[in-house]
Amino acid sequence: MATNIRTRLLGQDVSFPLDESRLAYWLVVMRLIVGWWFLHAGLDKFLAWPFDASWFVGGAAAQTTLGPVLVLFSDGILLSFTNVMVPVGQVLIGLGLIVGALTRLAAFFGAFLMVFFYFVNGETGGWSHGVITGDLLGLLIFAMIATLGAGRVLGVDAYLARTDFVKEHPRLRHFIG
Amino acid sequence: MTQLTTAERIALYGGGGLLLIGTLGIGLLEIVAGAPHPVSGEGQIVHETLVPLTVRSSIMLLGLLLWGAYAVSSVAREPPADTSI
Repeated sequence: MATNIRTRLLGQDVSFPLDESRLAYWLVVMRLIVGWWFLHAGLDKFLAWPFDASWFVGGAAAQTTLGPVLVLFSDGILLSFTNVMVPVGQVLIGLGLIVGALTRLAAFFGAFLMVFFYFVNGETGGWSHGVITGDLLGLLIFAMIATLGAGRVLGVDAYLARTDFVKEHPRLRHFIG
Repeated sequence: MTQLTTAERIALYGGGGLLLIGTLGIGLLEIVAGAPHPVSGEGQIVHETLVPLTVRSSIMLLGLLLWGAYAVSSVAREPPADTSI
């Protein structure tokens, strides 16, 4: 079944057909693969605990555009916070995408983390293979999942959207897919 | 049909535009007017840029910040319609 997308882009009427079944299929595939990417990254850090991010936020990031912000997290309580929140965040983002729970929120934080990975990895490496790196593409895939909000396709968000709690607090629909 | 507000236009067109300038725009400029990228004997790419990397990353970062601001502000506006049926 196809739907016509009707909207305006740069002042022009834009209309294009979208095959819903293929879109649903594609979004589930993307959610599962990207979700596993982050779940695995988070679990790896727990399996090799303790995780120490100081080499990233203190060393690698220091000379980059994001350096002034990231070095604040390179010691003391903020480093301890980072050491816990990066693996916890990665596991939650991964689980959220895989089971389709709070999909848009999970994808937003995935994109947020990728901003740091992209600029720190890119700038310290001089972007010697070009500025379009896997980190940037990962960031864009998270942004795509957040934009389309695919959690209701074979996901927990389909159930969450029907709960009384979400109906009474309709702003929560921004966070579910 | 969706009509964008001025703030949404700034966030979406501005953010996307800055990202495109940082990647495509400066990328084309580097090809047309930038230094060549000879590959050394060890396969190392010697990369001298016309536009400093920090300038390029700042432009892209500003674009992403606009996107992020759009995401946060959309939560503050009215809730989306119930599409759970």
